[in-house]
Amino acid sequence: MNEAENPNPLFMPLTYLTTESNKTGSWRFLRPRYDEKTSPCSATCPAGEDIARIEMLATQGLFKEAWETILWENPFPSVCGRVCFHPCEGQCNRREFDTAVAIHSLERFLADTAIRYGIKPDMKKMSSQKQKVAVIGAGPAGLSAAWFLSMLGYTCHVFEASEEAGGVLRWGIPLYRLPLNSLRHDIQQIEALGVTIYTGKPVSPDVLEIMKKDYDAVFIACGHGRGMSMNVPGEDLKDVSEGLDFLRKLREGKTPPCPGVSAIIGGGNTAIDVARSVVRLGGKALLLYRRRRQDMPALEVEVEMALEEGVQLQELVAPAAVAREGDQIVLTLQEMKIAGEEGGRARVVPDEGKTRKARIDRIFKAIGAQADEPLYQPPAGASGLLSLSHTVLVRGNHGPVMVFGGDLTNETKSVVHAVASGKQAAMALDTLFQEGLEAIVPKLEACRVGEGSSLSMEIYMGAERRLRNPHVVRYEEINTDYFRFIPRVIQPRLLTEERVQSFEEIDLKISANLAMRESERCFNCGLCNQCDNCFIFCPDISVIRDKDHQARHINYDYCKGCGLCVVECPRNAMSLGEEKS
Amino acid sequence: MPTDIMDREFVHSGHVGCAGCGATIAMRFVLKALGEKTIMVLPACCWSVITGPYPLSALKIPVIHAAFETGGATASGVRAALDMKGDTETTVLTWAGDGGTFDIGFQALSGAVERNENFLYVCYDNEAYMNTGIQRSSSTPYGAWTTTTTGQDWKRLRKKNIVEVLVAHRIPYVATASIAFPDDLLRKAQKAKETKGSKFLHIYASCPTGWRIPSEMSVKIARMAVQTNIFPLYEVEDGRWYTINYKPKEYLVREYFKLQGRFKHLTDQDLDQIQQMVNEDWELLLHKAGDRI
Amino acid sequence: MKRVLEGSHAVAEAVRLAKVQVISAYPITPQTHIVEILSEYCTKGMMKAKFLRVESEHSCMAALIGAQSAGVRTFTATSGQGLTLMHELLHWASGARLPIVMAEVNRALAPGWNIWVDQTDSLAQRDTGWIQIYCEDGQEVLDSTLQAFRLAEAVNLPVMIILDAFYLSHTYEPVEVPDQEEVDQFLPPFAPKFQLDTAHPCGFGPLVTPNDYMEMRYHIAMAMEEALGRFDEIEAAFAAQFNRRYGPVEAIDCEDADIVFITTGTVTSTCRLVLQDLRARGEKVGILKLRLFRPFPAEQIRKKLKSAKKVAVVDRNFSFGASGIFAQEVRAALCNVPDHPTIFGFVAGIGGRDVTPELLEMIYWQTKTSDVPQKESVWMGLREVKNAD
Repeated sequence: MNEAENPNPLFMPLTYLTTESNKTGSWRFLRPRYDEKTSPCSATCPAGEDIARIEMLATQGLFKEAWETILWENPFPSVCGRVCFHPCEGQCNRREFDTAVAIHSLERFLADTAIRYGIKPDMKKMSSQKQKVAVIGAGPAGLSAAWFLSMLGYTCHVFEASEEAGGVLRWGIPLYRLPLNSLRHDIQQIEALGVTIYTGKPVSPDVLEIMKKDYDAVFIACGHGRGMSMNVPGEDLKDVSEGLDFLRKLREGKTPPCPGVSAIIGGGNTAIDVARSVVRLGGKALLLYRRRRQDMPALEVEVEMALEEGVQLQELVAPAAVAREGDQIVLTLQEMKIAGEEGGRARVVPDEGKTRKARIDRIFKAIGAQADEPLYQPPAGASGLLSLSHTVLVRGNHGPVMVFGGDLTNETKSVVHAVASGKQAAMALDTLFQEGLEAIVPKLEACRVGEGSSLSMEIYMGAERRLRNPHVVRYEEINTDYFRFIPRVIQPRLLTEERVQSFEEIDLKISANLAMRESERCFNCGLCNQCDNCFIFCPDISVIRDKDHQARHINYDYCKGCGLCVVECPRNAMSLGEEKS
Repeated sequence: MPTDIMDREFVHSGHVGCAGCGATIAMRFVLKALGEKTIMVLPACCWSVITGPYPLSALKIPVIHAAFETGGATASGVRAALDMKGDTETTVLTWAGDGGTFDIGFQALSGAVERNENFLYVCYDNEAYMNTGIQRSSSTPYGAWTTTTTGQDWKRLRKKNIVEVLVAHRIPYVATASIAFPDDLLRKAQKAKETKGSKFLHIYASCPTGWRIPSEMSVKIARMAVQTNIFPLYEVEDGRWYTINYKPKEYLVREYFKLQGRFKHLTDQDLDQIQQMVNEDWELLLHKAGDRI
Repeated sequence: MKRVLEGSHAVAEAVRLAKVQVISAYPITPQTHIVEILSEYCTKGMMKAKFLRVESEHSCMAALIGAQSAGVRTFTATSGQGLTLMHELLHWASGARLPIVMAEVNRALAPGWNIWVDQTDSLAQRDTGWIQIYCEDGQEVLDSTLQAFRLAEAVNLPVMIILDAFYLSHTYEPVEVPDQEEVDQFLPPFAPKFQLDTAHPCGFGPLVTPNDYMEMRYHIAMAMEEALGRFDEIEAAFAAQFNRRYGPVEAIDCEDADIVFITTGTVTSTCRLVLQDLRARGEKVGILKLRLFRPFPAEQIRKKLKSAKKVAVVDRNFSFGASGIFAQEVRAALCNVPDHPTIFGFVAGIGGRDVTPELLEMIYWQTKTSDVPQKESVWMGLREVKNAD
């Protein structure tokens, strides 16, 4: 202490220095740190969307940035915001507090806002690579692969057999769920990134052989174009057709007539799509499913709306035989009974002797699909075959690498799983080209979001998300003292009477106001949303604001390791560890 | 209130408060609201030591350390002098602990507010003589262990209701506040600053060391005290107009008690009795606020 | 202008002329007349000052500590119980180097309740670091109070002006009250060397460890020493303007005295009569009036008692278990002087009992006829009581 600094003329108890010379950091035996973690929604999302961050940006009114955050992991926000089965909401921590955040509606809102204001995304693209990749099938898997490969700097050509790109998005899902301009916008955005789509170019085995000379890799994502067979007598009657074909004709602008009663066999989204389309065409729809309503793989809300629109549902029946009787079709149905449960779904067996007949005018099958051509199937047991969670990679001694993805390889056949497949293919190919086959598994492993199979392109490309702690935040780790009960936004819809009149989109828009109020309900699990609690409550003024990414840092010269910041962080974005001496 | 009020800082790092000290959090908040034209009178309490030894000070405003019982009187003198010098803008703030307010400082406080001296008296309450080693004060709550109420001699007398004492003096503004509710605390400090005459703030300031709680629980416990109605947040103007600021979630008091080592000896029967006492007091407060006929 | 004033009023006049800015007061007999007048002056605007009607003497001193620290001139008055209640803060005032001035009316301590003169109260504060001046009459009180402010502010130590209960506080005498302009020349406005200032924030009176505390106390000791010199300077300046001077001690007929009385306060006045009388009868007697008690003017005392053979200290006070306090202090001052006079201690007038000329004469004869003192202090004029010596 230098007395010369003392400005007082008397030597008396009067201070003249501050306590800043006393570095109380030496008291510490626990050390807090900013440690952003993984939200359960993003870990569950097959595309690994950074949902907590998306909602955080939306709450701050940064819609463009929120939307771009989606595009990092999923080029189809307009689509998924409408048709995704949103497993994210099923894991949302907020559901244990009041109700899950309406992530699905918010994704749609962000996509629609971008379209409405003609916003162009600022996507990071790696420098150009020499390799060229061909993608067969412009469905969600193929287009996603092209999007991600383009981000990684590769030249991508997509070959689509139909006259327009989109696959099941264009030719399967009805307009009242997915309007055309929403889809077209997302596809155009993919093209704007540098992807070339050749429509009207079916790829036969011969064409494929020729293509192999021009490309370093081929991604086959043709999907399942052929329906499955019921294996019942009378199936080959002309009145029995594929549900998917019916939907395709509708999307082609041809209106296949369906007066009278149409029976639809199946319980998935395709079956529901067919049933609800029939209603809109003025017909009656009879939905026949072998298990119970709660076992149906279709989205619950779709089933509900179908029933509201007048679709009849018969549960626990399976087709046994089809016969023609004059103008009508007689469908013999075998009644099923429940023999147990597996994985939450009923296991059913025929109730011996119990059958009944349904008199209908036609039958649509919607019991599943398979690949059109054998070449579209990944070869089993080939050497140089690498099976990943959503793709299969085959590397022969010569020629391009063959990658299979989408419905061809996915266990769960959904749009978002197709996106995941496309992303995985892009990452696998890029790693193969840059580092080699052996590097693929560990490299992709490092890009996992949480503990599941979801991968993040943001992490893969080395952005800040790579610094996130993979620990998935649980509800118990949220400090709920900072949240009030707020009801979830209700997605506005057309009234039932209005819905059945046409193929107009059912879901209506929500305002920015409502959207922000809803996104504010998000806990932002594991993410710092700059609430400043750490700064507010630190007794030692050791949380210092700065201009870095975190916008604040801990001054370890003075931090006593009390842990208040960690406990008062509402969203577990900090961690407390032992102080190493 | 300026929107950047939370940004300005009047306490230096390097002070010697315990890890997780609630009194330090309270000090940060109050000074943010009062600003730099503040002179503090600091009678003997934890903060007398927290400010650091000569020649260091942890505060960015002038402080006059005062004898234990003189919080109200010393402030009266400072105010008189400032007024004589023509400075009516600077706030005179007495910052005292519960001991220096409820017990030894009671007379000087009562005298000063009876004269309606123009100053703000803040009592930060950690519910015992913490600076000298956790001895019991009249602010120690019913049921608490302290070093002078040990074993079966735990305090079987209720906490003195200092707020009602101040209300009885009919001063312009009396309020309770908690470190777990920063916005409410800042608003009240700001309101006090703008009021002329005597103002009293009773701030609940957790003490990890004296209450036997982990340091990271300071704010949570402070929040629970309010949520269980043990420490209600309310204001009284001119000794008559009561406003309750927070209608709590009405958690059971045992949730609050079981988190603290100083209460671990209490039986279920004791806790039931305490719940009744708390309910009674809360009803009385509601009655005063006009919420009950 | 010459006026007939009570001792208390003389104090009040000086405080008014000194332009004190903050006064705090708590009533206690016989100080009340001082503060009542000051309160009236403040109300009527004759003084521009804040008058704090505090709720105890302890708060009284606390308020002044606060006010003086904030940079204004302050004053209070008290007595007996009030002074002893302030004790903690008397130490604080000097430790905080605050130039507070206080009028202290010597009054006996309870129990039993006794409002009359006794010096034990002020002497029990002799260790608190306050400068103490014992006054004999109204003029001296007024003059000393004025000088007190200048002295206090020069050395940054508080000053106590001490006057006997009733015999001085309530006795009317002619007093020359100077004009404001004259006083302004002698006593400029308070220029604090430090003060609470939001523009230059610091902590007053924080925790001080053994590392620094001793030096701070030493500086107080040095200030007290400096006060001796300043006292003379200030008296000289006062004398130059007002033609009155009292000295730290006043020696009356000491040059050729064999026996010297040591007295303080109004007892001195009575003693002056006794001196005249004894001298008329050929006794070689003198009086050394003690005025400045802290800092103790040891050098002056040694000088004035050079030729005395015996000293009779009259204490209107007592330190139980030891002796009369002035006697102790004088003994201490003389103990290392070779051939110093024999010191006889006498306790008289405790609790307001009258100290008559007869009593003083008895003291003289006892001193003269004794070779050595029987005890440290002899209690004079006691009535017969059971079990008393």
